[in-house]
Amino acid sequence: MPRIVREAEIAWEGTTARGSGVVSAVSSGSFALPTTLASRVADPEGKTSPEELLAAAHASCFVTSLGSELARAGTPPERMVVHCTVTMDEVEGAGHRIVASAISARAVVPGADPESLAAAAAAADEGCPFSALVKASATVTVEARLADGD
Amino acid sequence: MATERTAHVSWRGSLIEGEGKIESVGSGAFGPLDVTWASRAEEPAGRTSPEELIAAAHAACFSMALSSGLAKEGTPPEKLETSATVTFVPGTGITAVALRVRGTVPGIDEAGFVELAEAAKAGCPVSKALAAVPEITLDAALA
Repeated sequence: MPRIVREAEIAWEGTTARGSGVVSAVSSGSFALPTTLASRVADPEGKTSPEELLAAAHASCFVTSLGSELARAGTPPERMVVHCTVTMDEVEGAGHRIVASAISARAVVPGADPESLAAAAAAADEGCPFSALVKASATVTVEARLADGD
Repeated sequence: MATERTAHVSWRGSLIEGEGKIESVGSGAFGPLDVTWASRAEEPAGRTSPEELIAAAHAACFSMALSSGLAKEGTPPEKLETSATVTFVPGTGITAVALRVRGTVPGIDEAGFVELAEAAKAGCPVSKALAAVPEITLDAALA
């Protein structure tokens, strides 16, 4: 398979405590977002943070894996909604660590039952490259439920 | 104190032909952003991907850690410009992250800057979360 490369950059001005940065998507050009330490560890006040970007990465990684697993099982999804919450905490003796990423999925899947969805979600968790990485150092939880079509 | 950050993504249709959206994030800072399999695995065509978001998270986390380390040494930076490049091989996983930083930092020499950059790479929370990536490299220099 080909190597896929994606690049992002940040320009940071000043100290961590008082300075600020703008984080940009270089490969796609799809975002340029201000960030500060305060927005990372206190109230976001409309600014993103590394942990929020990871939540977006994990949700978008998991949703593609779940769709792929459901299609493989012969029940392609009509629609999926995935929420991801990433938690950073101070760990004694280790400073700030990303300790958890919690995935919650709702899927409209004709022909699937709760058991087959749960199996697909477990397989998606195994297959999503980001889940695989984060599990080495944090707790990844996955919860998936069938939803009615709209 | 624990900090939680949340994102919401939706997807319609199949993996290859369908399309997704990062609908919103808890801070409200961005979204909706389109994502598709093609934009992830082929040309981005203006759309983001999980790997680009990981690159953004790592570049931002590293820069904050380095800025903090420089300030602790009494040499706060005027400016840090950091890029992160994430390599993804479908079927294998995320195989590499390459960090590159150029710093404008009064009062520090190149060796001192590189040492603090290595410490930021080792210590930042996203680096710790990505510790299972086979190869994380750093190219650090003063601007």
